[in-house]
Amino acid sequence: MALPLSYSWRNVRARPMRSLLTTSVIALVVLACTLLMGLISSMQSTFTETGHELNLIVLRKGSDNDGSSQISLEAYQAVRYFDGIARQPEGDQPLISPELVVQPFFRTLDGGRENVLVRGVEAIALDVHDQVHISEGRMFKRSAGEAIVGRGVAGRYEGATLGEELEFGRGRWKVVGIFDADATSFESEVWVDVRELASDAKRTIPFSGARIRAASKADLETLERRIDDDPRYALDAKAETLYYEEQSSASATLYIIVIAVAVLAGVGASFGAANTMYAAVQARTAEIGTLRALGFSRGSILWAFQAEAVFLALLGFVLGAAGAAIAAEVLTSALGGVAVGAETFTTSVIHVRIHSGNLLGALILSLAIGMASGFGPAWRAARLAPIEALRKA
Amino acid sequence: MDAPMIDVRHVSRHYLRGGDDVHALDDVSLSIPAGKFVALMGPSGSGKSTLLNLISGIDRPSSGEVIVSGQALPDLSEDELARWRARHVGLIFQFFNLIPVLSALENVALPLLLTDLGKAERRERAETALRVVGLEDRLDHFPATMSGGEQQRVAIARAIVTDPDLIVADEPTGDLDAKNAEAILDLLRTLKKGFGKTVVMVTHDPRALRFVDDAHHLDKGLLLDDDAAERASAALHASMGPGPRTTEVEP
Repeated sequence: MALPLSYSWRNVRARPMRSLLTTSVIALVVLACTLLMGLISSMQSTFTETGHELNLIVLRKGSDNDGSSQISLEAYQAVRYFDGIARQPEGDQPLISPELVVQPFFRTLDGGRENVLVRGVEAIALDVHDQVHISEGRMFKRSAGEAIVGRGVAGRYEGATLGEELEFGRGRWKVVGIFDADATSFESEVWVDVRELASDAKRTIPFSGARIRAASKADLETLERRIDDDPRYALDAKAETLYYEEQSSASATLYIIVIAVAVLAGVGASFGAANTMYAAVQARTAEIGTLRALGFSRGSILWAFQAEAVFLALLGFVLGAAGAAIAAEVLTSALGGVAVGAETFTTSVIHVRIHSGNLLGALILSLAIGMASGFGPAWRAARLAPIEALRKA
Repeated sequence: MDAPMIDVRHVSRHYLRGGDDVHALDDVSLSIPAGKFVALMGPSGSGKSTLLNLISGIDRPSSGEVIVSGQALPDLSEDELARWRARHVGLIFQFFNLIPVLSALENVALPLLLTDLGKAERRERAETALRVVGLEDRLDHFPATMSGGEQQRVAIARAIVTDPDLIVADEPTGDLDAKNAEAILDLLRTLKKGFGKTVVMVTHDPRALRFVDDAHHLDKGLLLDDDAAERASAALHASMGPGPRTTEVEP
């Protein structure tokens, strides 16, 4: 039988200061990596969940985002009557939302300047983007100089609170509502009346694009083909989910960078933990000799010291993961989220959440640190000849 | 005549230290019958501890044979030797060698982890062993909270808990005061008398001669003959002088 785990655990506790220092180094690595992984996965989910699986985005051919696209009123009117578009439950209007996007600078409360995505929409936008709900105030009225702002915008910029006025373009826009959008990137937008925005921006072509809710998955594919193939307007239709996935493609690169950082930091932490474990083997040489003399095998010694290193790493994981969860909560609650630049050069506010996948990643990293740091010292301990080890008594 | 418990035949143990070839033991032959309490005596560097390590299977001879309970030890692999030690030998060290993070009871139960016994039986046996050495009220104490004498008793309990045929003790009184040293020697004698164990002890302590059945003297790696041993023993007694004396200090 192997030495009991309590032997390894009590040895971790027997040298509290050294164990605490080693654990702290591992905890810091875990904290940083978990938080970065949480930020990136939250960023990805913010973008990918923005798209609805039955929604199409219609842009001018060659545009890869609605900030650089224009479609004419005529094109919009033609598409509006295509078959396969879902209809409003009341009113029987086709669920197509013509939209205009501009990206003015807003002044943040702490004096900075950020590009914010202002989306001109009609009331039907609330049916097409059905994750958007007005949680405070009301919807804007047409041609009344009114705006509604997303949860991530509210309180972040000058004038972006209910009843205050935003200044952008040529006019002033009174904030009459605040909307939630299930933590998707719509929450980082300002919505106003599309025709009023076109007039303010002096746009002769009133729309950047349109969003369409297809009646079914099959209709979505048919509509997509029909819009793409229509020779009159040079339009490009794309599934909204795909569009937002492409918008978040930068985060995939970030993920690789974070993994590389995690590996490098993990190697550093492993050296620290290995140093502690080598010192433990050195200090307990006579003890190892005694255990070997009593009849414990090399495997038992290897296991006991390896378990000790893994205990240190698991303690680091628990502390680091708890630290990351607290940091994520502080970033989201106290600071209102983390602002990142989206592909459209506008600011998206990300609510950092630590997902179970992030924790699993951090746990694997911790276990790897424990195994890597423990193996060398444990191997050395296991290879000590009992007679040589006992002489150190 | 029965085969001896310990049969050491023409054993030598040489090793290199700092480039020098050290002859720790040279052609030593010795046999010890079962159920005897035997002391191995001699000055520092005489080879007595080396001989004890060979008998207990902690070390291997450079040449010659060591047969204990009919088992030729040099034939065993490293892991076989470890298993053999766990079954047949109880070890007692000068500095007790208890595991600091384990309680007295856990220290004593440690060798039982290498047996097939269940948890309850391991505990029961460890408690019995601690009762034999008079420490039944110190089960949950940790080594750091016990006196030297108590720690050595825990070590003796650990040595007997697996009910081994052979108990080997390396300077068991070397780190104890006179009173505790006598108590430990008496306890070792009880193991022989009361439990029929074979006890082999390395010691500098001339007091031990009063407790043992037989003493073998070594010097410079050689086992002394009877005449030389008698002279060595007389010299050792003379060195005690009048009045109480504690431990011998190695030069």
